[in-house]
Parts: sequence; structure tokens; C-alpha cells
Amino acid sequence: MSADIRVRSLVKHYQVADREGGLRASLRSVVRRRHRSVRAVDDITFDVQPGEIVGFLGPNGAGKTTALKLLSGLLHPTSGEATVLGFTPWERRREFLSQITLIMGQRQQLYWDLPALDTFLVNKAVFGLEDAAYREAVDLLVGLLELDEILTKPVRQLSLGERMKAELAAGLLHRPRVLFLDEPTIGLDVTMQQRIRDFVTRYNATTGATILLTSHYMADVKALAERVVVIDHGKLLYDGLLTGLIDRYAPHKTITLHLERPVDRADVAAYGEVVSADEVQVSVRTDKAQAAAVTARMLAELPVADLSVEDPPLEYVIDQVFHRRES
Amino acid sequence: MIGRLARIAGAYFRSALQEEFAYRGDLFGNVIRSVLNLGTAIGGVVVIFTHTETLGGWTLGQTLSLLGIFVFVNGFVAMFMSPSLNRVVEEVREGTFDYVLMKPVPALFLASARRFAVWHVSDIVLGAIVLGVALAGLDVRASGWGVLLFVALLACGVAIVYAIWLALTTLVFWFVRVANVTMIFNLFFQTGRYPIEVYPFWLRQLLTFVFPVAFVTTVPAQAVTGRDPSWLVWVAPVIAVVTLLAATRFWHFGLSRYTSASS
Repeated sequence: MSADIRVRSLVKHYQVADREGGLRASLRSVVRRRHRSVRAVDDITFDVQPGEIVGFLGPNGAGKTTALKLLSGLLHPTSGEATVLGFTPWERRREFLSQITLIMGQRQQLYWDLPALDTFLVNKAVFGLEDAAYREAVDLLVGLLELDEILTKPVRQLSLGERMKAELAAGLLHRPRVLFLDEPTIGLDVTMQQRIRDFVTRYNATTGATILLTSHYMADVKALAERVVVIDHGKLLYDGLLTGLIDRYAPHKTITLHLERPVDRADVAAYGEVVSADEVQVSVRTDKAQAAAVTARMLAELPVADLSVEDPPLEYVIDQVFHRRES
Repeated sequence: MIGRLARIAGAYFRSALQEEFAYRGDLFGNVIRSVLNLGTAIGGVVVIFTHTETLGGWTLGQTLSLLGIFVFVNGFVAMFMSPSLNRVVEEVREGTFDYVLMKPVPALFLASARRFAVWHVSDIVLGAIVLGVALAGLDVRASGWGVLLFVALLACGVAIVYAIWLALTTLVFWFVRVANVTMIFNLFFQTGRYPIEVYPFWLRQLLTFVFPVAFVTTVPAQAVTGRDPSWLVWVAPVIAVVTLLAATRFWHFGLSRYTSASS
């Protein structure tokens, strides 16, 4: 099976006006602008197979959104190639645009003063959907997103989470085969984030759609994507399984001990790097390979009441990825 | 293709109607505004004619016919053109223009036929009434040809307005904030309230060749009021086609710049 998304040496530079702060600099910039070239996407290569969910990770300004915009045909690249469903995105062919969607958590397309259902009807016409196909899509999305009461209220009366659900539905009516989701959970509370995540998983399972998503929230990535692509400063740093990312950049386990009585901190430090410590609870970070041995020694040598061994949090892993790059 | 685009425009138009009905008070206020605007405009013309028999060679009836055409075109533009094109400016600034580009429909179509200010229909109707009443008082006999010519010239005028506005809107791809451009457009457009002959020579040239407002009201009014049609009648279609072609090319150029330069 050929890849749904195929990216080869993709590069995107763009010019930004560059000026110092202050009124004087502002005035000067009216007359003469200095431009600086930014390498938003710098020689990126990867594939996404049909039905895959891939998490696109990177700090703010890493080039995630630019990459998504290139792949959805909004931007022309400086150089390199990409195909999505066999189309070159920036040719913006009708057949291509009918089969993909881009949903941006921070930007809305719904009519503000009308119920979301009216935006749906406009999209029905825009995508030329038959009545039957439209109803089927609405039924599916209403079921998966629990939209019943949301669709008939004016959008301005919806909560942020409800609006996001309606936005997702509006962007999915035409049953796209490839979904680009840019920060779909941004600004939502934890429960709603969870709901959106569940939806993405179920939508993927139901329709077999290919999904490339970016998110700030590690919980999103952990729950949704087995595979992650990490970029920073436009460069691809890692492409592979999420577990592999952890092994490579943070091959640690955190062992947390509940002690029966306080012990000298130096005694604990002998087992590994102490992450946190109070009277009777101590967390120690140790190499993954030695975690079992260290645990055994601790149990034998310390007054352990309870013990747990955990993977490092993903935030820490990502931090390690970018930290290592800079050092 | 045409049928499909018509269906899409229809769907957008229905939404516009619904949006309008969501604010009924607004609807009422706008009809009052139309009537007041028209009253002031007619009053202005009548006051001028208490001091003079003709204005730049135009009689009162002829000038009122021209005013009717102006109000009609103004309403047409406000209802069908400016809402969509103004929306483009907002969307580019807010970043939601990306959603327009994601639709499997030519962006130029969506930029031009997506939003409608339905209540401006009152201007269109009032403009037509003023034109009709003024013409009735003029006692011009309308031949089939004359009507056809008038409609064709009116269409040319509307096309020219669209082309200019589209070109001005396209500037948003470079400058992002172009609200002033709309103001400049309106400043010139408002000169169309009076026949072009009332303006000094240099302004006449400007309004004919640079910012061709002359073709929007003066030329169609010449044709319909039985005044000697000037040679401009024959130039109107040429100007319309040229400005339309130039504006759409400029739009595509701006759009390609937008998709290659932004982040």
C-alpha cells in the first residue's frame, strides 16, 4: 500500500519584517523594512500510511503549523516535494481539496450568529454532497461527538468545547480521507480534551481516515498517536514510535519509594539521581536498563513500605529532546 | 460548473438571509436609513436646481434619473459586492482566510459571492423607483434598443466597480490592513452622484480614465435620458473587460504571493 502522505526534503523559507521595539524603530520601519529569512520547515522527509495517526510535536514556532499548511495546500514550498493521496497539495486540485480537511483549534469557520447546522448546509453545497451522503455524515458525527443539542443553537451561545465539536463536525462532513488537526484541543478543559481525543480515536477506527495532528498537550499525543514526528527549528529530530522516543531521549525510570522511617538523603542518592525527597517519600531517577536491579537493591537495603516504577512524563522527554539539541 | 457555483452562492445567500433575520431590529433601522439617505440626496439636487436651470448641461429630471441610477448601483454594490470583499480583508487579518482556500471551489468565487447584505435591497428598489419617476417626467420614449443599451451600460458600470474593488481588496495580500482603501474607494465612488460634466477638467479625466466612475452613472444616464450619448458609450464595454481581466489577474498574482510568502 502506498503512503497517504509522502514528504521529501520539504523546505519552506519565508520573509518576516524585522525591527526593534520602540517608536523610533517603528517609524524607521515605515520607510525601510529589514527582512529576515526564517526557515520554518527545513528539509523534512517522512511518510504517513493510510489509517495511521501521527503526532506532530515541537515547541512553539518549530514549524508544525507551516508544515501542516504546506501539506494542506495553503502554502507553496521553497523546495522539496510532497504528495497527499497522490496529489501535490499546493496545486490545490478540486479532487484533492474534497478529500482532505484542515481543522485549526484557534480559528473558526462557523457562522457566529447562526446555528452550526446552517454552516453545515453551506458546506454541503460547497462540497456538492448528495442528500443521502450528507445525512449519513451528520448522523455519524452527531453520534460520535454527542452533538444533539449543540447544532440548533446559535454558535455564539456555545461553550468553547461545544464550539470545537461543531467545528470538527463542519470540517468532516465531506468525509475526508486525510485529516490535518492543528491544536484541536487548545484552550479546552481536561474533560473536553478527553472527549475530543476519544472522538479522534473513534473517528479513525470508524472511517479509517489518516490523521496528522499537532498538540501542546502531551496527553493528546500519548492517547492518540503511537508514532510521533518531532521537529524543532524546522528540522526533523525524530520519527518513530513514541516508546522509542522515550528510550532514546529519556531512557529512565522514576522509582518512587514510601519509607517506613526517614533515611539519610545520601543513602538514597547512591541509587540514582534524586528527583524529589521529603520525610518518607523519595523519587529517584535511574537508567531504564538498571531499573530492575536498583529496585531489588532498594527493597533489600532500605525500609521500603511501598514502591512504584514509572516512565518519565512525556513533557520531560520532549524537554530532553530539545535540550539535547541545544547543548 | 455554473450550476454548481449557483447552488453554492444560493446556500450562502440563504445563510445571509437567516443572519439578517437574526437581528430584526437592524432590518427595520436599515430601511429607515435608506429612505433618509435618499431624501437628503434628492433634497440636495432640488436645492441646487432652485438656483439654476441646468447642471453641467443636465436638467433637473435628467440629474434625478442619474441619482436614481447611482442609488441603485450603490445598493447593488453594498448588497452583493462589498460584504464578501470586506470579509476577505477581515479573514486575511484573522487568519481564517485559510478556510476559504481549503474549499474545493475557486477562491475568487468565494471571495466575491459569499456574503450578502440583504437589507440593501431597499436601496436597490428605491433607486429604481427614483429612476422610473424621473424618466416618466422627462417624456423620453424608450425604444427596445435604448433599454437594451441602458442595461448593457449599467452592467458594464457594475463590472467596473467590481473590478476596482477587487483590485483594491487584493492589496490585503501585501498590506494586511486596507480599511483605508475602502474609504478612498467610497470617496471616488460618491462623485458618481452627479454627472461628470459638473467637475473640473482634471477631475473629469481622473474619473474617466483612472478611476472610471463616469461609466457607472453618467454614461448609462446619458443613454437612458435621451441625451446625446458621448463616444464613451462605445468605450464602456472595452473598459469593463479590460479592468475585469486586469483585476482578476492581479487577484491571482496576490493570492499566489499570499501562499508563497506567509507562514
